[in-house]
Amino acid sequence: MDFKKTEEQELLLESLRTVMERGNFEDYFKECDKNHEYPQKAVDALVEAGFSTLGIPEEHGGTPIDILTQIMVAEEAHALGYPSLCWINFSTEVDDILTFGNEDQQKKVLECALEGRKPFTLGFTEPQAGSDSAAMSTTATKRDGKVYINGNKTFNTSADRAPFMLCVARSGINESPYKDFSMYLFPMDRPGVTIEKLDKIGNNMCGTYEVHLDNVECEETDLVGEECKGFYQLMKNFEVERLTICAANVGMARCAYDEAVRYAGVREQFGKTIGSFQLIQEKIVDMKIKIENMQNMLYKTAWKKMNGESIMIDSSLVKRYTGQAAFEVIDDAMQIMGGIGYTHDCRISRLWRDQRVYRIMAGTEEIMVHTAGRALIKEAQ
Amino acid sequence: MNTVACYKITPDNQDVAVAPDGSIDLAHAAMVLGEYDLMAIEEAAKVAEATEGRAVLLTAGGEALGDTKLVKAALSRGASELYSVSDPALADADAFQTATVLAATLGKMEYDLVICGEGSADRYEQQVGSLLGSLLGLPVVNAVSSIEPRDGSVVVERALENEVEVLEVALPAVVSVTTDINLPRIPQLKDILAAGKKPVTTWTLDEVGGLPSACVETVSVKAPGNVERKKVVYESGSAENVGELAANIRASL
Repeated sequence: MDFKKTEEQELLLESLRTVMERGNFEDYFKECDKNHEYPQKAVDALVEAGFSTLGIPEEHGGTPIDILTQIMVAEEAHALGYPSLCWINFSTEVDDILTFGNEDQQKKVLECALEGRKPFTLGFTEPQAGSDSAAMSTTATKRDGKVYINGNKTFNTSADRAPFMLCVARSGINESPYKDFSMYLFPMDRPGVTIEKLDKIGNNMCGTYEVHLDNVECEETDLVGEECKGFYQLMKNFEVERLTICAANVGMARCAYDEAVRYAGVREQFGKTIGSFQLIQEKIVDMKIKIENMQNMLYKTAWKKMNGESIMIDSSLVKRYTGQAAFEVIDDAMQIMGGIGYTHDCRISRLWRDQRVYRIMAGTEEIMVHTAGRALIKEAQ
Repeated sequence: MNTVACYKITPDNQDVAVAPDGSIDLAHAAMVLGEYDLMAIEEAAKVAEATEGRAVLLTAGGEALGDTKLVKAALSRGASELYSVSDPALADADAFQTATVLAATLGKMEYDLVICGEGSADRYEQQVGSLLGSLLGLPVVNAVSSIEPRDGSVVVERALENEVEVLEVALPAVVSVTTDINLPRIPQLKDILAAGKKPVTTWTLDEVGGLPSACVETVSVKAPGNVERKKVVYESGSAENVGELAANIRASL
């Protein structure tokens, strides 16, 4: 078993570190977080260094990359303080559209993705359909050669910036919801689309919206892939997307850990560094164990996926574990920092607010039990 | 215009530790491309790209040259080929020895312009570039802060203490460039992957005429000792204060 990164991985991560060092973005991120602004300057720096092209096929202007390396890059960026939900690589979105979309859709999505712009906001979750995606009620109704979309989507990240929505809607053909969902790609500036910003506790640099779809007129060519196959099409890349989320968890935990452990070595109370107290040491040790566990579990899952093994169970386990463990690590980091950790001056407070949603989004940690639990028992029979 | 950038593999400055006796401890230092040589590599690539020429790299050193990651790191920055002279004896070579080996190696290569960094990132003696030009019998200019290629020559700017000197230098020539001449590129994945496929030619010391005797005997390398702060505060910039400051400095030297 070889845990060593390849030379190419090491050099790529060195390049990433150089981008982040040269940009010296810590104060900039603080300002963006305070003002609820998208960190465009950091995005531009990463795009210029080619990070948005990773994982996109060469014939479309990208540089192919394996899943594990993709994950290491996302993890490292977050470990260096890059804000969550602002990641600039959309290769899974590109793969979805290259697999199922038509030529025009491919061109539009590729154009955005290569520039590090989020191509589309995913219209999936609805107010009454969170974990229970079968309850989705947005409809796609065909009339006079057109398709009309009606419904409400929610928790749409970057709906203000993404030029398109990839909308999942019921076609009204099959009774079973999963066999009735179709995907449509349409511009966000189409008549009938309105957005409403949600006021959330963190991830201030990435706006999250409710999107109202009122008789949005689409062409039949706006359909992505096959009618009524939308749900299954969406499943193609969801495991890899989930791993990218896990990478952000590991990265944010490392970021908080690095800051707290440095602080513990210099902050003096009662005439000695707080790191010399065993209660602080215990926290640091347990944080480190969790980071190692998260990383090992994530990398192994990515490795399995790359080697063609099923990660149906693994992806749920790693999503649940990294969400919880990263939260615990960041929370302990805040505790080590004391009062300073609770101020906006210290970036751990941002990580503490931002990471919390990763226990909820893209499959709650309870849903992960639901998916993995049944499968594990079945596997043992 | 065909360019050659010379570089040295050095210990990462961030990893250099100082032992209690002031000696330098490199046991835990990773080896990296010399940080001042990155500008030489970048400038060689830029000049070659601007003139539809070819940039190649040249290095001489010890066993660290065999590190394939460092080879890829060097070749991911725009140059198309690497020539290296590797021998354990070169690990501690002095500036004259290094320059002699580089000069002999350049004798086997075709080039118009050789570009060196400002100094090596470890010893920073700033000698190799000038010695190299002298040994090759070529025009040599140091402290170059910009290079503009012309037909058969380059126009270079030298940042001196109180002026910027502009010189037209006939080719072939050797220049050493300052750290502000450019901002070295950040290698992208495609550059890193391509670097692994670029040709590398390695010569032994014997193939380039051997190693001359060292001119300099290094007795010891030590970090400057820590000096306690004097904690003298001068209240104003009066003549009396200035005189006192000067006297104190003189006394502590």
